[in-house]
Formats: sequence, structure tokens, C-alpha cells
Amino acid sequence: MERHMEAIWLYQFRIILVGDSTVGKSSLLRRFTEGRFVQVSDPTVGVDFFSRLLELEPGKRVKLQLWDTAGQERFRSITQSYYRSSVGGILVFDVTSRATFESCPRWLAEARMHGQPGRPLLLLLGHKADKAEERQVGRQEAEAYATAQGLPYAEASALSGQGVEEAFTCLAKEVYGAVKAGLVPAGGEGSGVTCGIVPSTVHSSEEARAGLRPCAC
Amino acid sequence: MAQPSQEGRQKAEMEENEDAAITWSDETGREEGRLDEDPMNKNVGVGEGEKMVHPANTLEGDAESKIENAAMMEESGEEVQPFAEEEEEDSVVIPTRKRPEHIIPQVEIGDRMKEPLVEDGVQSKAESSGGGWGSSLGSWGMSLISSATATVSSVGHTLSHVVEKAEESLGILSPTELSAEGEETTQATVPTEEAGGPAGSEEDPVVKEEGVEVEGDEKAFSHGGAFGMLGKLGGMTASSITSIVQNTSKTVITGGLDALELIGKKTMDILAEGDPGFKRTKGLIHRTNTLSQVLREAKEKEEQRLAQQDEDSLAAPKAHYGLLFDEFQGLSHLEALEMLSHESDGNLQAVLSSLSGEDLLRVKAELDEIKSAMILEEIDVESDVVEEKDEKEQDLMNIITELLFQVHIGVTPDKLNRARQKADAWLKEVQEDSTPKEAAEGLEKEEVVKPEKKSVQDVHSLCIQSLAEVTARSIEQLHKCGELILHGADPDVSAMQRAASLTRLTVALCKELSVKSEKFASCLSTVGAQEKPEILNPLVTSVFLEASNSTMYIQDGFQLLLPILQLSHLQHSATPLAPT
Repeated sequence: MERHMEAIWLYQFRIILVGDSTVGKSSLLRRFTEGRFVQVSDPTVGVDFFSRLLELEPGKRVKLQLWDTAGQERFRSITQSYYRSSVGGILVFDVTSRATFESCPRWLAEARMHGQPGRPLLLLLGHKADKAEERQVGRQEAEAYATAQGLPYAEASALSGQGVEEAFTCLAKEVYGAVKAGLVPAGGEGSGVTCGIVPSTVHSSEEARAGLRPCAC
Repeated sequence: MAQPSQEGRQKAEMEENEDAAITWSDETGREEGRLDEDPMNKNVGVGEGEKMVHPANTLEGDAESKIENAAMMEESGEEVQPFAEEEEEDSVVIPTRKRPEHIIPQVEIGDRMKEPLVEDGVQSKAESSGGGWGSSLGSWGMSLISSATATVSSVGHTLSHVVEKAEESLGILSPTELSAEGEETTQATVPTEEAGGPAGSEEDPVVKEEGVEVEGDEKAFSHGGAFGMLGKLGGMTASSITSIVQNTSKTVITGGLDALELIGKKTMDILAEGDPGFKRTKGLIHRTNTLSQVLREAKEKEEQRLAQQDEDSLAAPKAHYGLLFDEFQGLSHLEALEMLSHESDGNLQAVLSSLSGEDLLRVKAELDEIKSAMILEEIDVESDVVEEKDEKEQDLMNIITELLFQVHIGVTPDKLNRARQKADAWLKEVQEDSTPKEAAEGLEKEEVVKPEKKSVQDVHSLCIQSLAEVTARSIEQLHKCGELILHGADPDVSAMQRAASLTRLTVALCKELSVKSEKFASCLSTVGAQEKPEILNPLVTSVFLEASNSTMYIQDGFQLLLPILQLSHLQHSATPLAPT
């Protein structure tokens, strides 16, 4: 039943996560896809993958294919080649580390240089927002920077789970809106959007939630 | 079919341990040939057509049907030709033996044949003239074997003519009607399959289709071709071509597997020309499409099918390999590996085009050397890597770890290992469940809340899931290797050394899958010992089928590493050639 439900989605969006090493991209993704916090994780090698379904409107499900890139400098050139085929991206920094925030302009420039025109649609995310004590980057400052760059801003914590769902949903809605408005091509090579199956019947959101069980793997 | 003659009985005994399907199909070939010579015997032929359903359904040597068949031949005055068995000695397969790639085609045939043949029973009109057609095709198929590949192109044309002609002369139903009827008949034949149906009749088309997806990979399994072709037949029942080919196949099969493979490939080419929908398959064979694309399409098809399925028919959730493979992110890794590979290839070409004269020759020779180091010698699961049967299970993982270490990129096969352990764990559990325990032992252990015994379908799902997971992890492993070879790997290890290790690694991975699939199949057989063969056999078949597919995905993933290794060679070679 669940598998059956999972098979149905309107679009698949390819979303790339970038940002400095150790800002917590992988933890964030595991929280989002597995619903739990994973304390220790080895540095990501190259790129890893996660996926999850989101219901953006009643009966309108999208599948997020999440590309978790390595933050380490040595994998930079691999990461670069993935911008092109992504429709959305989350630029993550660690609010407890100013250095990671200061890298953001560089990541942003890279995404814009290697992506396609207008893509990927980006979101700036301040991570580890639960650590209020150790905060080095204020919310206002980050928000101001995001606004200046024309990006939505969100804060989240993989540890507490706060803001995680909202951040991904925000970006997914952004992309969904762009697809609906025709700003972003749906389907086709390298668009980062795959057209899925339009369900013949509109399913209730309860059904959809049943499909969102944490991944078994 | 009354009393088996003495001769028939002897024959049956001789073949008792052999697989019914292949021997039987060969006999049928002779039967059909005979029919042509003696049109008066047609009725016997039709009757037999119905009979044929039995052996096809039984995976294991079914002595009874053997006897029937033999008796049949006796009746018609046909001499039993003993050499047939000698010929088949090599290819005869007992289920759950090694080399799944050999088992599959035969089981497949059993399965596929069932359909058209039953169809025959229904359309006796078509059958009556079909005998002639079949036999001419059959004998033509035979001569084809002897004249081998040289005549392939003309053969293709001949076939298309034959098909056209056959269609005309048979006054056959329109392809769509035919396929619809085919489906009906299938359902009618296996009403008991309701529970098993998902894996058997419904899922099969898609599963098989995937078999075809990798079919272009000719180097790997020669039988894979034939089976792939057959898979295609089942896979696209809706398409008009398929029904023609399917229709054709029922008689062509009599010409033998080899002929069929040859015919099949060519037929698809020729038939494809007029049909854009077939381009995909064609492209596959010529390897113009990327593997991930092909897999993706297969997966999407399955998704579409699921989406269209009636709400009430989704009672039993089935294991679909493609969906699971994607769920384990195998598809993503494969795609990313492809991207990496193509990018490396681009860079490689850029470097090569900047070279000239002796430099170019030298570099090219070096690159070729890497290439030849990466040729997967026919993967002989019997002899390579490990010899001892009992030790091999533990050792395989060590070997994989060891080989990864040799590649020297700082990667450990943790995820892969976990996937394997998961598979082993449930295998063990199922086996324990299904082996009757000593009463005393059971009491001591206090197994009060013993989980309900797993059904065949459950075990089958586990099998497919494990295969998908192990394969996805293997692809992931190869992807990681590719990434690390290009970025951050120890430059002291040469690309040549890596190529050699990776080749062995791939062989080990394939071996692992083959061992697993055997275990899965035997586990499935144990659990399903009480089940009807119609239910059990398709499940076992699909396990072997997906195992064979898995092997091919891994091999394809491995091939994608070639440009990566070559580029890394240039990057690290003494002369600073590579672009920064």
C-alpha cells in the first residue's frame, strides 16, 4: 500500500545541498528523510543521495531527490558539475561558525556560474539553530544577506528537528511555483525536474502522510 | 498418452534429474517438424499443444510429462534420438544450481511458451495452418545455426517476410486483440495464482522488461540474449510488435535457443524500424542510451502501471526491483557515476586533442593498456577469486575490502557490508523458521512470540529487496571509487594497479550476487516447498532474473570507471598533461 502510494508523484525535483564542510548537510538530510538525528557521520565522499516525498497541496505530491555534496575542498570540482542538473539548492552554513557564513558568497557565485540561467533556485539555511549560546551569526544579519541576494532564508536544526520540514517545504514550493509558472522547464535533460505520474484520483493528505514513513534503509 | 512405452520410460529415467524445459522444447521442435511431413497427425499436435503447459510449469525435471512426451513420440513412430541428451548435457540445468544466467532462459521459455501455446488451443484455426509455418521457421532456424552469423541480415529480412506472410495466411487476429487475448488466457490458466499473481503474471512483464534493458550487454551472457528477447516478448504485450514476435516465438522456439537469440535480435531491429516506440530497445542494444536512463524508464513504467492499477487490486504489495533499486539510491549513484564518467571522458578527449606525434601515440598506448586491464574476462563464477565453497562467504567480504584497500582510495565497504549482513540475517531467520526444530530445543529457547512463518511471497520480496539493495550499494561503491580516484586518491597507486583491482572487485561483487541468488532461490524453494509450481517457479525465476540483471548493472557501472581511471592516469603521469 505504502509502496503504491510512494510511486505516485507529480514531479521529482533534484535538489542539491552545498556549503562548507561540517556545517551539517548530511545530518540535515538524514533528519529530513529518516526523521532522526544521527550523531556521528563521516565526511561525505563526493555526493550521496536521499529522497523523500512531500505533499505541497492536497493530492499534489513531489519527490525530492536530494544530492548531498561533500563540503570538502577536494571534491569541489565534482560538486560543480551537479549544479547544472539541479533545479533547486540549499546553501547551508553553520550559525555557530562565522567562517562558514563567510564562505556563502563563494558558494553562491559557484552555483550561479555552473548552474543554468535562473537555476538552481536557492535557499539560504542557517543550521544548528538550536545552539543559541554558541551563535556567531545573528538571524538578522543572515536574513539581510539572503534578502540582498534575493534568496529566502530559513533556520533549522537537525538535532532538535526545528525548522527542517519548513525549510525543505519552502524550497519545494518555490520550485513548484516556478514549474507551474513555466519559469523552469519540467522534464527534459538536465532540467532537474522529472514529470511523474498524475494520480487519477485525488488522494487525501492522510494517505500521503502514510507514504512518508521513514526510509527503511 | 495412456501407457508409456518401455522406451519412453527409459528415457524418462535417464532424464529424471534434468531440466524438463529444454529437453522438452527440443522434442517439440522435432514434433513440429514431423507434423509438417505428416499433416494427418495434426490433431495429435494440437492436443499436445495443450499438454505442453505442464512441463513448462514444472521447473524440476518432471518425469511424468517426460513420459507423456516420450510416449507421444513413440505413438507417432518417431524414434527417440538418444544423442539429444548428450548434446544437452552442458546446458541442462537443475534449479538452484550455479550460474543463474543459464537457468533463467530456460525457465523463461517454459513460462513464455505456456502463453502462446495455450493460445493455440483457443485458436485452433490459426494452429492448423500455423503448423506449416512453424515447421518451416523451425527448420530454417536450424539451418540458421549452421550457417551462423554470416547471414544475419538476410535472415532478418526473411523473418519479416515470414511474419508478414504468416499473418496473412493465418488470418490472424489483430495484434492488439491477440495480446489482449493472450493476457486473458494467462489469467485463465493461472487462476490459483491470485496471491502469487502479482509476482507471477502481473509483475513479470515489467521485471522481464528490465531483463531486456541490459540485454545489449552481449559480452556477458550469451544466453542472456535469448532470455532478454523472450523477456521483451512478455514485457510489451501491449505493443503490436510484441504480439507478432510473441506469436512468432511460439514456433520459432522450436528451432532452438540459439536460433531464437539470433532471430530475436535481428527481428527487433527490423521490426523496430517502423515503430518509434521500439527505438528505446533498439538504442539499448546499440548502447546509445545510458543505463540509468533505461533503468529510469523501466522504473517509471512500473510507477505508471502502479498508478493506473485499480485501488482494490493492490492487496499484495510486491517487490519491484526497479523501484527498490531507486529507493536504495542505486539509480542516483549510477546516474552520478555516468556524469562523472562522461565528464572525465570529455576531459580525456580534450587532453588527447592537445597532443600530437609521439606524445599522442605514447599516451594512447598507455590508455589502451588501462582499457585492456579492465576487460572483464568472462566472469566465471566457478573458478575465480575463491575456490573453497564453504569459506567463500566470509571471504568474499574480506576480498572486497582487500581489493578496495588495494585501490587505495580510503573507502570501506561499510554500507555494502551492512546490506549483505541484512540479507544474511533474514536468510538465516527464514531458514530457521522453516526447518522443523527439535521439540526439546524449542521449549528450552522459550520462543513464545515467534513471528508468523513467512510466506513465499514475503521471502520473494525479501530476495528482491536484498538484491536491489546489494546492487545499489555495489554501484554506490563503484561511484565512490570513481569520485575518489579523481579527487584525493593516493597518487602513488597507478591507474593500472587500480584498474586491475577494480576488475577483480567487480568480479567479486558479481560472484557475491550469484552466490546470494542461489541462496535466495534455495531458501525460496524450501519455504515454498508446499506451494504449487505455478506459484513457486515464477518467483524463483524472478530472483535469478534480477540477480542476473544486478550483475549486469554492476558490470556497466564498472565500465563507466574506465575514462575516470584513464583521466587519473593522465593527471598523475610524469608529464604534466592533464588540464588543471
